[in-house]
Amino acid sequence: MGTGASDMNQLVAGKIRDGGRVKTGIPAFDEMLHGGFMEGDSVMLAGSAGSGKTTLALQYLVNGTTRYNDRGVYLTFEQLPDQIYRDALGFGWDLKKLEEEGRIQLICTSPDLMLDADAGDGLLRDTIKEFQPQRIVVDSLSHFGMYVPENNLRKEVYRLIMAFKTKRISSILLWETSQIMGNTLSISDAGLSFLVDSIILLKPVEIESSMRRLLGILKMRGSDHDKRLREFEITSHGIEIQNPFTNYEGILTGSPRRSQIEAAANSWSMAFEGAKQKHAK
Amino acid sequence: MSSEQLFSTLLASEIRGELLVLFHRNPGLIDNLDGVARRIRRTASLIRADVKALVDLGILIQKKIGGSVGIRLDSQGDKEIPESVPTRIRTINVGGEK
Repeated sequence: MGTGASDMNQLVAGKIRDGGRVKTGIPAFDEMLHGGFMEGDSVMLAGSAGSGKTTLALQYLVNGTTRYNDRGVYLTFEQLPDQIYRDALGFGWDLKKLEEEGRIQLICTSPDLMLDADAGDGLLRDTIKEFQPQRIVVDSLSHFGMYVPENNLRKEVYRLIMAFKTKRISSILLWETSQIMGNTLSISDAGLSFLVDSIILLKPVEIESSMRRLLGILKMRGSDHDKRLREFEITSHGIEIQNPFTNYEGILTGSPRRSQIEAAANSWSMAFEGAKQKHAK
Repeated sequence: MSSEQLFSTLLASEIRGELLVLFHRNPGLIDNLDGVARRIRRTASLIRADVKALVDLGILIQKKIGGSVGIRLDSQGDKEIPESVPTRIRTINVGGEK
């Protein structure tokens, strides 16, 4: 598994150098996070279907192992690994090869196996003990929640999060929000927002009849972070963060409009242009 | 057992073939009998005997996890099977899948 003394020293040195931050490897996103997620934190990655959650989560794991020497586990309840290998390869990430090298592990199971109190702990315990990951992705809490009575979901998710925290494993928990468009500020009705340390929202928005993608950090416990809503794109090599939506207001409500400052500047600009043309005649 | 005989034994039933394809394409799959059955759109009672046959052949392994039994590919046992067998299995189409 490549955890010799020199590897371990390198790993420890890296953590100390980065102030215990777990980098995503996406430079602009790490800047937004003021260096990365806090080590051992649980992060909820919320968004509707097709918003880029799986891509971002895979990129976090792949960058983690290829750039920062962190081993990663992708725990999926929904998609079969076969499909994940194929989708990842589309971004140039050869998960099968990384698995063969012992750097990433894909585990596909049913929530009911995880929910068997002894079995769930056993499956996680065995994986953590044998593979010793630094990062883990759970895809998804929403699917997990389908197998749990609503009043038990919070308890089960707490159990899951604590299993990672006690081993200092940084986790990303995917959560599918129901609405694609409109006001989806209510991330989950089960009170899960209070359990996690950070919440990242991915959301498609319509601006001037075009579909664009938004990323925002809604919560980051114990750390300052970029509060601006940033545009992002899914490119052939993964997620790329773009500029903030500085010229618009009300984006999260689903009714974006140009900000008053931007509108006033436009009015002045048009008036000035008109006057200039009149003067030229 | 020759690879041809082994191939015939492995594919003695349609369900056995479906299980082989499922686990070879998804080596990270670990699930209980119900979960495995659901993934090939069958019921637990229908696949039980074929799972046992593959466990006896050393292709699958049943592992006690807490109070449940998880079924997964036995990567060690699988390595002992001639490469030609899994290669042929991977190319089989299941349920009209391309």
